[in-house]
Amino acid sequence: MAAASIFAVIIFVAMFLLIVLDKIERHIVTLGCGALTLIVVFGICMRSGKAILGTLAVGDFFKKDFWYQVTESESKGINWATIIFIAGMMIMVEGMAKAGFFRWLCMKIAYMVKCRTIPIFITFMIMSAVLSMFIDSITVIMFLAAVTIELAQLLKFNPVPMILSEIFCANLGGSATMCGDPPNIIVGTSLGFSFFDFLTNTGLIAGICLIVSVVFFYFVFRKEIVTENGAEVDMSKFPNPSEAITNKKDFITSSIIFGMAVILLVSHSATHLTVASIGLFIAVITLISAGKDALSLLKKVDYKTVLFFIGLFIVVGGLEETGILEYIAQFIESISHGNVMLMIAIILWISALASAFVDNIPFAATMVPVIQSLASTSGVDISTLAWALSIGTDIGGSATPIGASANVVGTSVAAKNGYPIGWGKYCAKLAPATIIVLAISTAYIFVRYL
Amino acid sequence: MSQLIISVGREFGSGGKVIAEKLAKRFNIPIYDRHLITEIASKTGLTAGEIEKYNETPASRLVSRRVRGFSNSIEDNIAEMQFDFLRKKAESGESFVVLGRCSETKLRDFDGLVSIFVTGDTDSKIKRVMKVYEMPEDDARDFITKKDRKRKRYHNYHVGMHWGDSRLYDLTINSSKLGIDGTVDILESYIRARIK
Repeated sequence: MAAASIFAVIIFVAMFLLIVLDKIERHIVTLGCGALTLIVVFGICMRSGKAILGTLAVGDFFKKDFWYQVTESESKGINWATIIFIAGMMIMVEGMAKAGFFRWLCMKIAYMVKCRTIPIFITFMIMSAVLSMFIDSITVIMFLAAVTIELAQLLKFNPVPMILSEIFCANLGGSATMCGDPPNIIVGTSLGFSFFDFLTNTGLIAGICLIVSVVFFYFVFRKEIVTENGAEVDMSKFPNPSEAITNKKDFITSSIIFGMAVILLVSHSATHLTVASIGLFIAVITLISAGKDALSLLKKVDYKTVLFFIGLFIVVGGLEETGILEYIAQFIESISHGNVMLMIAIILWISALASAFVDNIPFAATMVPVIQSLASTSGVDISTLAWALSIGTDIGGSATPIGASANVVGTSVAAKNGYPIGWGKYCAKLAPATIIVLAISTAYIFVRYL
Repeated sequence: MSQLIISVGREFGSGGKVIAEKLAKRFNIPIYDRHLITEIASKTGLTAGEIEKYNETPASRLVSRRVRGFSNSIEDNIAEMQFDFLRKKAESGESFVVLGRCSETKLRDFDGLVSIFVTGDTDSKIKRVMKVYEMPEDDARDFITKKDRKRKRYHNYHVGMHWGDSRLYDLTINSSKLGIDGTVDILESYIRARIK
């Protein structure tokens, strides 16, 4: 077992380093490391076919609980529910983007507030957070940042403050729900939490933090987002939002499917449909309604991310099976001397610090078994630790330009349009905002759960 | 061949830039080097100085990250803008000479591409750099090493193949053997044979 543990750690550390170095595509890294885990750790060191089967978790597909779950249950190994859900939502989002939904929504809101910069600034922050509750933040920021730049060029204002605020709010919105950010899907499906559990816990924290963030960014950026000469906006020059719709039928269909996805997610604890069922259902109806375009939608799915998840779960499975993660849990317990407040603070702030510099998905996948072990040995409620982990990983990523996918996409769209955002410019405003929001979240968790 | 794109990769001090300029004159086509910077500056609102700072510079892997083709690195984005600019020029059917910018790989799908890499003997390169930049020998040697390392990192970062590897180029030539004009003559003959 000692050899298995050593190899599991070496493979995990190598995987993390290779992801950070970004020399090899990350899905190849995780799949390669996953294969090594199966062969070296489980096969050669442990000689355990059971560990291999348990980690591959293929049997999950044939369990009723995987699709229809009356009692909450936890999962181990490859988290297929997360993978199916993410793939399903990707297909839906591709359909919405193709129909022009996101561009239309951005233009419509700008039109409704008569293109005045401060109202656009505030509504776009809120829209960024709300959309990110249901849709991946990469898509949200890709469209919001592009429309923000278009508006900035039309109305002659600096789009950088607005893009930075949108990025921050997208990450914040993602923390509010189970499907908002991949770490939450991993936490939720691994520990058996529902969409509603997230909404009434991390959702409330995100809501409070959103109000604070909007006020914070308003005071920080209000002088930078005025139009040149404070000129009145000529609405006749503004493109009609309906021009963004590429196909009316597709637009209506994709809007209905999105609405259905939201309803199914909000009500899934009552309907007992799992996120895997919802993801599959949404994907199937999107593909059916796309008709002959179904194949092109499927081709646009970011299959690399799906493969990345599969490899990642196997590597983390290696750490789990060899008991390494229990050592980490014991270490956290020993340095906190059983002090629950300190334990929560460590999980939240270490998760935030790590997520500010490395991908929060592998971090969250690794930490889930750690908090499970910590909860069973220390007696702390697992849900409290789960909310601390979710908030830490989701929001911590906002602090640096590389902390979360939305940050990379937002700064890239800005740079390509002539508004480069370096580390200094980014961190000067968003790092303090992240610290403020994390402090509020920590205080909230202490007051509500302890 | 109606379109001619001459891609010139070069070691620092080999005279590759002068060779590229002379080729542009002989074929009466524009050359894109610094012009790429001013073109992008005019399109984006960035100053030429800002672009120059990040020009042909590889991003640091530790402080940058890529997500679905997007990168937070300003260096990456400036490079992508230059690649896009070159691709659009090539797609428009225009003939031109381009210096560096991984053009031998980025434009390899265009039939009119002739890719050249100019190398040179170390002593000749040092002498040339000492003369052009008016610096002592040791400084020239260090300067060459530094510049070539930067070009190599930039190229290998964006292309994933080795800078200066003869398999990437149609022709690799040592400018120290025939001098600048002699090298240009040989290259002109080769290119004319290619476009016949």
